[in-house]
Amino acid sequence: MTERLRHCIEGYREQTRHVARPDFTAQTLDRCGLADRYAIIDSAIGPVYVAWNPRGVSAVRQADDAEAFERWFRRRFSRRAMPVQDEPEILDLVRRALRGEKVELEIDLRDCTHFEAAVLRKAREIPRGHARPYAWVAREIGNPRAVRAVGSALANNPVPLLIPCHRVVRSDYGCGEYVFGKPKKYELLTGEGLHMSEIQELARHGIRYIVQTEYNCFCLPTCGADLMAELNEHEHEHLKLHSVDEALGMGLKPCGVCRPIAA
Amino acid sequence: MTTAAVPAYEPSTCIDEVGELLAHALADDVDMAFEQVVRTYQDRIVSYAARSLNDVARAEEVAQDVFVRAYRALQAYDRPRIKKLKLRPWLYAIALNLVRNAVRGKRLRLVGLEREDGRPRPIVDTAPAPEAQAITHDEWRRVQDAIGRLSPKLRDAFVLRYVDELSYDEIADALSQPVGTVKANAHRGLMSVRDFLEDQP
Repeated sequence: MTERLRHCIEGYREQTRHVARPDFTAQTLDRCGLADRYAIIDSAIGPVYVAWNPRGVSAVRQADDAEAFERWFRRRFSRRAMPVQDEPEILDLVRRALRGEKVELEIDLRDCTHFEAAVLRKAREIPRGHARPYAWVAREIGNPRAVRAVGSALANNPVPLLIPCHRVVRSDYGCGEYVFGKPKKYELLTGEGLHMSEIQELARHGIRYIVQTEYNCFCLPTCGADLMAELNEHEHEHLKLHSVDEALGMGLKPCGVCRPIAA
Repeated sequence: MTTAAVPAYEPSTCIDEVGELLAHALADDVDMAFEQVVRTYQDRIVSYAARSLNDVARAEEVAQDVFVRAYRALQAYDRPRIKKLKLRPWLYAIALNLVRNAVRGKRLRLVGLEREDGRPRPIVDTAPAPEAQAITHDEWRRVQDAIGRLSPKLRDAFVLRYVDELSYDEIADALSQPVGTVKANAHRGLMSVRDFLEDQP
């Protein structure tokens, strides 16, 4: 009997075992107020859909309408995003961040790989008015040969503008690809004060570093919007350098902000 | 009690390996860790509710209510309290309560309400009649039948021990009863189920 009893109970347990339907988790979290919410917010490239959850901002995306955005969100993150009803605190932070203010804003990168997250965090350090080459990001995260992978990671940036992937450019200061299109990338960088066409022109002439005489150091030409203005003002040929050797030969230190060479 | 004469059937206890880790994660950040709590226990809680309610759709609703209620409670708890929480029995305690309410509500709905036109609503019980269940040849259905005949006191202890495979400590936690009581009730439930199965070979 014992054997049969055990057998019957186990049979009952197995036969009545249920697996929650696929959207059970998402719906439950939503009911707890833990699902992603979204709103449309104005940005430098026009209105964008911005989604967030308790971990932080999860997505920034252009879309034709709310339905298209929700569909994209679900496909990309396998979760639901719901339009926001009220005006939560985070919206104000997002607006200020999109205007270029420095604010403490959490970003939800849980769906990124370690590598992608490292690339995106590095890109986030690049200040407004600056730009860095893909190769620079690869080197800074300790993976100098992964230049192409850096490009892919940035292309997958879930929160463009908030993580300013547009500030990562090619080594010849050509813009490279961008989620919102190449022209927008150029426009954004120019809008942030970088003289992109001049910088590209320098690169074509083999100029790779600019001297900051005041600090006795040498920089990438994209180290801040003021750099080129200064260069134009002084018009001294010796402010433009072709190589690291040239800079070091002059007794210059690498700039601590743009870190033109490996430490 | 004739503990010595019983069949020595003890199911293995299904150990809650992640419960403690999850409780610590919750103590750090409820909002962050809660998703993992839902994912970890959702199938269990849905199954538990479905067995008691005999209605999977309703069971999923109730299971969702369980997690929503758990989340609200966690928001009100302080860190040390969350850290010490034994998640699995705690969730079962909530589930027991809500399932009980749902069963009660179902019964009330079945007998009490009238149609909008004022005529009495026909009484329809969606579960198969006991006779119909008894003649099926699936043995596991007879277990279901046997459980249905247990008193609530024996049923809770029996189901949590033999179907859901919680440890006696966990069941004592979930039911807020002493371990001894829980052991006795689970055992009496088992005897009752055995007798029922023996009566119908």
